[in-house]
Amino acid sequence: MDIDSSSRADARPPDTPAPWLALGAWLVVLMACTLALWLFRGEAHEAHMALAYLLIVLGGSARHGRLVGLGLAVASFLCFNFFLLEPYYTLTVEDPLDWWVLVSFLVTGAVAAQLFHRTRRALAVAEDRTAEVRRLSALGAESLSVPRAVDAVDAIVRVVHSELPVALARVWIFDDDGSAPRLLASAPKPSARELFPGDARSEIEKGHPVVLGPDGVVRPSVPGSDVPAVLSANPLARSVLIPLRVRERSLGVLDLTSERGLHFDRDQAVFADTLSYYAALAVERVRLSEEVEHVEALREADRVKDALLASVSHDLRTPLTTIRALANELRATGDERLVVIEEEAEHLNRLVTDLLDFSRIRSGSLPMETGLNAAEDLVGSMLQRLRGVGGHDRVDVTLPPGDLLIGRFDFVHALRALGNLVENALHHSSDDDGRVEVRVSREGDTLCFAVLDRGPGVPPAARDRIFEPFQRASTTDHAGTGLGLAIAREVAEAQGGSVTYHPRPGGGSVFELRLPAEDLYDLP
Amino acid sequence: MTAPTLALVVDDEAHIRRAVRNALLEDFDEVLETGTASDAVDLAAARRPDLIVLDLGLPDRPGLWVCAEIRKWSIAPIIVLTAQHSESEKVRLLEEGADDYVTKPFSPVELLARARAQLRRARMAQMPRDDGPIRIGDLVIDPGARTVKRGDANVHLTPTEWELLRAFLRDADRTLTHHQLFRAVWAASSGDPQQYLRVYVANLRRKLEPDAVRPTLIITEPGVGYRFELPG
Repeated sequence: MDIDSSSRADARPPDTPAPWLALGAWLVVLMACTLALWLFRGEAHEAHMALAYLLIVLGGSARHGRLVGLGLAVASFLCFNFFLLEPYYTLTVEDPLDWWVLVSFLVTGAVAAQLFHRTRRALAVAEDRTAEVRRLSALGAESLSVPRAVDAVDAIVRVVHSELPVALARVWIFDDDGSAPRLLASAPKPSARELFPGDARSEIEKGHPVVLGPDGVVRPSVPGSDVPAVLSANPLARSVLIPLRVRERSLGVLDLTSERGLHFDRDQAVFADTLSYYAALAVERVRLSEEVEHVEALREADRVKDALLASVSHDLRTPLTTIRALANELRATGDERLVVIEEEAEHLNRLVTDLLDFSRIRSGSLPMETGLNAAEDLVGSMLQRLRGVGGHDRVDVTLPPGDLLIGRFDFVHALRALGNLVENALHHSSDDDGRVEVRVSREGDTLCFAVLDRGPGVPPAARDRIFEPFQRASTTDHAGTGLGLAIAREVAEAQGGSVTYHPRPGGGSVFELRLPAEDLYDLP
Repeated sequence: MTAPTLALVVDDEAHIRRAVRNALLEDFDEVLETGTASDAVDLAAARRPDLIVLDLGLPDRPGLWVCAEIRKWSIAPIIVLTAQHSESEKVRLLEEGADDYVTKPFSPVELLARARAQLRRARMAQMPRDDGPIRIGDLVIDPGARTVKRGDANVHLTPTEWELLRAFLRDADRTLTHHQLFRAVWAASSGDPQQYLRVYVANLRRKLEPDAVRPTLIITEPGVGYRFELPG
């Protein structure tokens, strides 16, 4: 960071000699001029001689300022009077007109010296301002271009420390999680762990600067007073905490501290206020880049998780295939225990599938492909799938006659939801003859698939829990994976649908799967 | 007397290879085995098997590469074994030239049933095709005359439904992806009709199947496509 940190431009350029030396040199010039005029004093008019002196006074003023100018004016007045005005070699003046010349000369010289002085001062202030603007623009450019956002905060803090009468300049950042403010940068570097004055935060969140007295205690400040006013009006303060605000929000604090009090003039106070704005922008940049890093980290974690799921899925299924195949092969020997092995392998496979799917649903990474689908097709596929595990002949389907019922949903996931509800109903129907009904209907904007059984139903206390993962109606029930209803509800909700439970009049349960319905006109 | 039948099993797991071989030996006269992709292509070229069972997770090359290589010169049915349960993966396999897929863990019985169906389909495809009527129960489909009858009653099909039925019959017993069906029926058009494919299938079922909720002819492969199954 190459911010020019030399002290503020002085009114006098560094190569100018001290005023007394300059005055001496100019007095020599004055004496030489007096000698020349003395040689022609009989022929020259008083006004001409006065003009020659005036040139010297103006020259001195222009070169060395008001003090030298005024000194020269007085010396010229005396020389003029003593050597060149009759009676010579006295400080008396005979002709009243000569008095007029002398006084006019003195006044002109003094006024000229004063005017020069003012111009020089204005120039110095202008140079000061230019240097300030240049420093600020350099600071701004550097804050934006440093590769690490926190470096910009660091640079600003160093400028604050070198340019302003403070012993310690620090920037704190507020994190969104409400934890204690973090020290982002400090000049000079902190020697120990620094603690943020805790009770100041609420005032700063409101956007008010906070003043800490010599004892380190927060002093009430006048609400609404701006930062320059607070800074220049509190010479006894140990610290002033300036809120760093972007878009009406306090992101952090610029903390200016000096054990011997903060003595700011108005210009320095304004400068501090300006720097605090830069610091706010730099802190905002830190915040944004930390957010980006956080999102990147999340994305990476997500990628790793997906890769892990895919590999777990493969690594678990391959040995299951072998177990199943071997058990199936050995069944030819007549050992019935091998049937159990095969069934358990299949159960394990379903558990793996459910667990993988459930974690994908929960993380929102299960792909959804919603499109037009017929309710009939969904129910048909559900029955087809049941054929593999048994029980399809215990399901009665009621579809309203007439037009096709159409919905907009993801077929595979809707099938999963409906299949889980029907399997759950079959499982809880008391005996093997217990029949399960599936009634499909259109209700306004939704397709409703009601799954009804005559099982024991769900006790009122358990109704809220049954859609939670691994919640079973009874502890002795281990046939399912414990995820069926949870998955059904999650996949239904992921595509704008729902799964609800209510008791069936006369005993049993009704689970209703609702999916968005669609109207079809004019098929091509 | 038919010629001896030959199957090729490609899987890097010896146990799975053995299980598949034992299942296939019920129907096939000889079963070849290999564990690498390059051997699979060489064996397929040298011995011309009637059916190939291919695992996707091979150590040297991706299984899909084997599929594409063999498809360059052979129409022998390929059944893919995959641990991936995602529908998009299955769609990709079918569009790359696989005829069917079985997801792990599979039962040998199920695999044998699929192998039988594929072998029968391949043989049917080799027979000279006549456009004569097809009888399925009391249903008579006459592609030449473009008529469908149930018993004595005519079943009316719209032109689009006819196109869909013809696409199904051309590749009977083979799962066609939604995209493949769409290309076959709406080749010229683009965009939204693909959405209506599911609706047309439902309509066709209502006209052809005795019970549209328990279809026996047009089988849904959820998320993948449809398969027209000829009984027998």
